[in-house]
Amino acid sequence: MARAVTTNRKVVSTVFGWAIAILIFFPILWTILTSFKTEAEAIASPPSFLVFDWTLENYSTVQERSDYFLHFMNSVILSLGSTVLGLLIAIPAAWSMAFVPAKRTKDVLMWMLSTKMLPPVGVLVPIYLIFRDIGLLDTRLGLVIVLTLINLPIIIWMLFTYFREIPGDILEAARMDGASLRDEIIHVLTPMAVPGIASTLLLNVILAWNEAFWTLNLTAANAAPLTAFIASYSSPEGLFYAKLSAASTMAIAPILILGWFSQKQLVRGLTFGAVK
Amino acid sequence: MSLRTSALMGACAVMALATAASAETTITVATVNNGDMIRMQGLTSDFEAKHPDIKVEWVTLEENVLRQRVTTDVATKGGQYDVMTIGTYEVPIWGKQGWLVGLNDLPESYDVDDLLPAIRGGLTVDGTLYAAPFYGESSMVMYRKDLVEAAGLEMPEAPTWDQVREIAAATTDKANEVYGICLRGKAGWGENMAFLTAMSNSFGAKWFDMEWTPQFDSPEWKRTLTFYLDLMENYGPPGASSNGFNENLALFQTGKCAMWIDATVAASFVTNPDESEVADQVGFALAPDNGLGKRGNWLWAWNLGIPAGTEKEEAAKAFVEWATSKEYTELVAEKEGWANVPPGTRTSLYENPAYLEAAPFAQMTLESIEAADPQNPTVDEVPYVGVQFVAIPEFQGLGTAVGQQFSAALAGQVTAEQALANAQTLTEREMKRAGY
Amino acid sequence: MATQHSRAAARTMISPAVILLLGWMLIPLGLTIYFSFLRYNLLMPGANPFVGFENYAYFFTDPAFWPAVINTLLLVGGVLLITIVGGVLLALLLDQPIWGRGIVRILVIAPFFVMPTVSALVWKNMFFHPVNGLFGQLAKGLGFEPFDFLAQAPLASIILIVSWQWLPFATLILLTALQSLDSEQLEAAEMDGAGALSRFRHIALPHLARAITVVILIQTIFLLSVFAEILVTTNGGPGNASTNLTYLIYAQSLLQFDVGLGSAGGVFAILLANIVAFFLMRMIGKNLDL
Repeated sequence: MARAVTTNRKVVSTVFGWAIAILIFFPILWTILTSFKTEAEAIASPPSFLVFDWTLENYSTVQERSDYFLHFMNSVILSLGSTVLGLLIAIPAAWSMAFVPAKRTKDVLMWMLSTKMLPPVGVLVPIYLIFRDIGLLDTRLGLVIVLTLINLPIIIWMLFTYFREIPGDILEAARMDGASLRDEIIHVLTPMAVPGIASTLLLNVILAWNEAFWTLNLTAANAAPLTAFIASYSSPEGLFYAKLSAASTMAIAPILILGWFSQKQLVRGLTFGAVK
Repeated sequence: MSLRTSALMGACAVMALATAASAETTITVATVNNGDMIRMQGLTSDFEAKHPDIKVEWVTLEENVLRQRVTTDVATKGGQYDVMTIGTYEVPIWGKQGWLVGLNDLPESYDVDDLLPAIRGGLTVDGTLYAAPFYGESSMVMYRKDLVEAAGLEMPEAPTWDQVREIAAATTDKANEVYGICLRGKAGWGENMAFLTAMSNSFGAKWFDMEWTPQFDSPEWKRTLTFYLDLMENYGPPGASSNGFNENLALFQTGKCAMWIDATVAASFVTNPDESEVADQVGFALAPDNGLGKRGNWLWAWNLGIPAGTEKEEAAKAFVEWATSKEYTELVAEKEGWANVPPGTRTSLYENPAYLEAAPFAQMTLESIEAADPQNPTVDEVPYVGVQFVAIPEFQGLGTAVGQQFSAALAGQVTAEQALANAQTLTEREMKRAGY
Repeated sequence: MATQHSRAAARTMISPAVILLLGWMLIPLGLTIYFSFLRYNLLMPGANPFVGFENYAYFFTDPAFWPAVINTLLLVGGVLLITIVGGVLLALLLDQPIWGRGIVRILVIAPFFVMPTVSALVWKNMFFHPVNGLFGQLAKGLGFEPFDFLAQAPLASIILIVSWQWLPFATLILLTALQSLDSEQLEAAEMDGAGALSRFRHIALPHLARAITVVILIQTIFLLSVFAEILVTTNGGPGNASTNLTYLIYAQSLLQFDVGLGSAGGVFAILLANIVAFFLMRMIGKNLDL
């Protein structure tokens, strides 16, 4: 009896779960499907779902027009570069806030988060002028710096919440054994925090990959990532749904695949201290 | 600046010149994602073959993003681009500011006198040509011959607005998704305001009087806007308030519009059987008028300009010369057919029998361009230059803000009266701020 | 535990982050405040004279100012409401036994990976477009007049797009929190005869309070500066119907190139963000014992 109820319940929640999941995923699925249609089929009414002449033509058109690989590499360099740099700065900071809390620690953390609320448009012109003067316009280095700074508060906060969950006794014990501060961080703390660091890394790569204001405004030909690649498709000539879909698919595919493969890791860490 | 630093800088400059002359130079070209520019991008290898020491890198962006990027860059002297694609609106303003490299020293073979006078005049400030036109356009009526005929009507070569309304009414068939007329509705000074400002000229309206007082409270503007709203509400497609050039092009190509009044360059897209379902049924007519002596057509050109201060001026000039030359036209004709060459910049093109044969819209395009007069755009005298814009720096902001109001009226969120009153208030405010 | 020595070390270790963020905040902020007192238009180079509070006066009397403030709050509030209510419901559902739960979770999380520009382009063209969009075609197929989302309900449409992007994030955090809920406690409540609704209200919801707070905080940070979605879909219109503060400042500083006016707006937006932050922090302080 009890078993039957559970199975029934499982059927119901499976049906609902799948229905909602497909509904949420549908826009992405539709984009991917459309990218394999011809332009005429892309706007055909009624729309064809799976039965159409699959074509790769849109992908080659898009590739002819803009160098996907260059933009892709820039996206990889910018998101990884800013994440690694961010972690290097954030790990020590989060350590000291978590294990040596001062009276003002909480205020400092909140202040850091509040810098994230600066509206980027309000400060674009000053930053543009500064970048021009120190020669950082359209350089990967310049963008790595900006992306690091805008995501630093989030990284610090995420790490801070993981570190706090590590019992202080273990560190104490290590210190008793004569471990230096450096050893303590590298050999004791870091291994314990690996899951947290990994998911911080993933989240930050996603945020940096998708950042579309600074990456578009501070680059031209050399450092432009995929956000700039997509900006040339936002209103092309005539029929463009299939081309737009192909370009969109190319822009989101890498991060989508990365996200899917590492989603367990990401999900496990995505708590921001919300779980005690 | 100390003597030493200036000596150092001098040395650097000499070195930069020396390297530019010997080694490979890379120039960055910023352009808009229109069909003709994308075609040019595809033909880069021809330029690089002719200039083996120059390499071209492209930054292709959507029009609004492009304009914002290049304006920020040129105004702050950011130096990110060596060639910029800019419109007829920017060239005189930037030229006056000294932001562009003068192009009066183009070689004889370029044949600068071949450029259409109306277009060339708009790019010249005090005798100096500041940009070279890549393609030029006016606006005209594109219509479906089959639908107009089926409605038992005929499109005159130079229709009036009342005739346009009559045809729109007779061809609208909403049940079958055929709309009598498609016009721009998306807010923006280069979108709906380009159309509406040009249209208002034929209704006798104007942006400013000779004292720079805004004129949106005039009966002429009211007639313009109510006529437009009436057309679009009764015979226009749904969602018109977010339709710009590209959206309307897609609608027309898929057979959903009986008439479309827009840029003459669209003619080659709507008559291209690869892209357009209605390619063999398109007719052309001049933009409508009201018998007041001005037609509702504009004048625009996308041009290549070189920002002052670029270190690669020579290479940039070589590129501008190549892209706007007669040889480039021939190159496109050879690869893609005469109908696809960039139109509207050179007299010789309109004397070329091969082009006239391949492009049924050529004559109408030329007539439309010649019918526009940026120096005297309106029925009454005005203090400004520009048919569908006012060539003052404030216009971008103003045009877009007013465009938002008119777009809201089209979406039914405000009435025509409210939209005009708002436009008047905000224009007065901005003009006061700007010190006119 | 904290010795004198480790305090000094701690200070050394936090200082790079603090100095960098301080620089990142103060230098642009300083310049923005400075520019906000100048008449400074990029298109009209020249003296850039000091004009006192003129820019502020123009910014606050701009007819788009109040609509922008209201739209900003509606956008943040609307998206928070949808993602939290939807996120709680979805988390409850995904917490149930489901065949193929891994795949379901992958599908639900996907929108979070999509660039804002791309999702705005896709929604605008392939769904909202009244003639060629899927919703329009669906309506026609069912015999209705297609609804023009971006013209008739611009702000609601943008809220929908942004909610779609952030719903996965909220769901995941809430789901993780839900999974940490003590199942014995729930079973005990069930034994006592508590209904599903009351179990949710008295046990699950209080347990989720922390997670909800976190979702609100993080999302608010990002939602205050929503920009790409508006630029791509409506350009802030029709009229001012979907102009938020970020977009208004963008229009002033990068469409009109009026850096002075845009900077005055920037200073106001920073102020508003800090007010919002202040209230958020107080709320967090209660719920998150940092």
